[in-house]
Amino acid sequence: MENAIEVSERYTKQYIVVKIGNEQYGLDISYVDNIVRMQSITRVPKAQTYFKGIINLRGEIVPVMSIRLKMGLADDEFTDASRIIILKIEEQGIIGIIVDEVKEVVELAAEDIDHSTKTAKNDKNSFISGVGKHGDELISLFDISAVVDESENV
Amino acid sequence: MDVSQYLEIFIDETSEHLQNLSDCIMTLEKEPDNKDTINEIFRAAHSLKGMAGTMGFKRMQHLTHDMEDMFQEVRGEKIKVTSKMIDILFECLDALDKYLENVKETSEEGSEDNEAIIKELNDFIAAAEGKAVEEAAPDKEEPAKAEIVAREKKFLEAELTNAEKEAIKNAVNTDNRVYGFTVYIHPDCLLKAARAFLVFKAVEDYGEIIIYRPSSQDIEDEKFDLDFTFFVSSAESLDKIIAAANAVSEIDAVIAEEVKLDIYDKAEENAAEELPEVVEQAEVSVPSADAAKKNQPSAKKTTTNKPVTSRTVRVDIEKLDALMNQVSELIIAKNSLVSISTTEGGNFQNQAFHEQIEYLERITTNLHESVMKVRMVPIESVVNKFPRMVRDLSRKLNKSMELYMSGEDTELDRTVVDQIGDPLQHLLRNSADHGLESAEIRRMRGKPAKGAIYLNAFQEGNNVIIEVSDDGNGIDTEKVKEKAIERGVITQEQAEVMTQKEIINLLFMPSFSMAKKITDVSGRGVGLDVVRSNIEALGGDVEVSSVLGEGSKFTVRLPLTLAIIQALMVEIRDEKYAIALGSIQTIEDIPVKDIRYVEAKEVIHLRDMVIPLIRMDKILDIDPLEEEPESLTVVIVKKGDKFAGLVVDNLMGQQEIVIKSLGKFIKNNKIISGATILGDGEVALILDVNALI
Repeated sequence: MENAIEVSERYTKQYIVVKIGNEQYGLDISYVDNIVRMQSITRVPKAQTYFKGIINLRGEIVPVMSIRLKMGLADDEFTDASRIIILKIEEQGIIGIIVDEVKEVVELAAEDIDHSTKTAKNDKNSFISGVGKHGDELISLFDISAVVDESENV
Repeated sequence: MDVSQYLEIFIDETSEHLQNLSDCIMTLEKEPDNKDTINEIFRAAHSLKGMAGTMGFKRMQHLTHDMEDMFQEVRGEKIKVTSKMIDILFECLDALDKYLENVKETSEEGSEDNEAIIKELNDFIAAAEGKAVEEAAPDKEEPAKAEIVAREKKFLEAELTNAEKEAIKNAVNTDNRVYGFTVYIHPDCLLKAARAFLVFKAVEDYGEIIIYRPSSQDIEDEKFDLDFTFFVSSAESLDKIIAAANAVSEIDAVIAEEVKLDIYDKAEENAAEELPEVVEQAEVSVPSADAAKKNQPSAKKTTTNKPVTSRTVRVDIEKLDALMNQVSELIIAKNSLVSISTTEGGNFQNQAFHEQIEYLERITTNLHESVMKVRMVPIESVVNKFPRMVRDLSRKLNKSMELYMSGEDTELDRTVVDQIGDPLQHLLRNSADHGLESAEIRRMRGKPAKGAIYLNAFQEGNNVIIEVSDDGNGIDTEKVKEKAIERGVITQEQAEVMTQKEIINLLFMPSFSMAKKITDVSGRGVGLDVVRSNIEALGGDVEVSSVLGEGSKFTVRLPLTLAIIQALMVEIRDEKYAIALGSIQTIEDIPVKDIRYVEAKEVIHLRDMVIPLIRMDKILDIDPLEEEPESLTVVIVKKGDKFAGLVVDNLMGQQEIVIKSLGKFIKNNKIISGATILGDGEVALILDVNALI
């Protein structure tokens, strides 16, 4: 079993599938450091509106972003299924993003990913690098560097 | 064991020597006849040369050698100190600095020969002497003779273990001869262990070293005085080995003779018996590399004002950072213990438990203070290159000026010190270029022709203040206004209502240069905004005060430490914030009816001071209370000579907090300087008082 994964790794990438609203999104697993339950978030005054605040993750301060607000969707409603996905991004550090639900981990091969959906900027689609097809489901794949990019969204 | 392990020592010591040289040359320019200074220069240059040679940096060695020649002439009063000469010397220092930079980056000195500078040096010497340059003939070292007499054949006294005797026996049995060596290193030698290593290497070409005194590890760690002893088993003749050992520089003497094992046996049998027989004996003294050494003892005596080398350890800053992090973790853990012990319902009402907690608190606080102290270094290492810089500026700008410094021994966290150099340098340049007027104007204004720039450092509470001021023109706010309007930074209407302070603050806007013409020194638009952002990145701030025609003063305020502070925890509604204790003056209960209004702003009148009130809930976007209480809890904070009263809901007490960064993602308006983790795992934000006032 393990062997099979290693062999196929050359051709496929693993994604964590999360639910935000009614849509499914995929996050490249190589960026994911951790997935934690919702916990109390300390508000940071005067920060960008889509930053919910900061949390204490085992002694480290991690900023938490609402991907919903950043994409221009309705504000989060925290439920039992809500999770914070901790992403580790080189140089910029650690950041958490809030998702409604974590579903599964899927493997997508390069040919399963359609990159043609990239559209105009400032649309929520500008955070999407492509759409993956997994069975008959469609998964929008996040472009992580665009999601955490602060330069054009202040 | 190879030379590269000495690279770090070499880099550190070379920078020290270069700094020393630079200081001394500055002094020399002012007091050309100061013998002490010349001798000190000589000593530093000589050490530099020696170290560069040891490490195999030929070009550095060459350059310092020629510099040494120059000093030699000065000392011999054959050359008069002129500013031309000082210029050349500084060029040499810059070249050496470059070599050092190369060494730091690549472990190589680089391939720049600096022939131009060397030529300039030699030409200068030649011109001054009026004849061709001659290498100073190496003199025989007179006093050394006497010393040699005192040098003993220490290897004879070495007490050998049985195993070592066995080794000697075995060596003798294999037809090798065993020689005892005692090597004396020159007292001024800086890398003794490296010398020893080179001696061993040379000797090992001929035979095997079987015994070390002190042990090879101790020699490697430089745990020996000026001499070390070893035994070689070799088939070669003694002379050859001695010659090889002597070829290593900075070795004063190599004393050696063949050792026969029976001498030890005899010595054991009869301790009182005469000294052992000696087959062959050689004693060689090394002629000094140049005449320089001869005068060294006197040079040493005259520099007694130099501090005696203290017992210090060089530690990598990363290790200190790691230590600091661990102390931070410890404090967080301690805070959670404290928090558990104070929650009701726990079984911790035990007296002894609380005593131990208090004890633990004291220990962690002391531990933190100690670590902090270890990390503190005087700002001297940064500011002592400024006199040289101001001198260069003075020549470049053709203005006469002098830098007066005080408080160089003020200490700051190492990371802050490392980064404060550039901003300060910028402020000094600013003063030299824009601040000080030309000589004619100064004369007209009745000021001394020589402009004065001051750099003042001192500690104030939890901050260190560094003031850079000058007695120049000051900031012409009208001109700044004009310029700002011209650049479209502000409108005419805005300009009319701006206060002096606001106008001065315009100088800190990006790309706002006041230089009338672009000079080498400043005016390229990279300006005070960079200074401000650099200082703010360190958690500090910068302020300007200025009187037109009299001068201006830049005040840089820096936090003493970056990691852990004592803070007052306050509550505003259900949010918790920390305020650095260092900036808190007092805490007051102010009845609402005592609030007065000045320019429609709330103020309170307290002990003859009018203090503006800052409603923290408003600043922090918290919904206001529905009903205002009869009295307010006001934390009076201070920044320099300014005060403000922060209105909070509740005081939670004092706590030691570990400052954590919010990371790069969250951008806010600077009123939050960081976050901290409380004992119960909750996160609280730290208010930056300096940004509030």
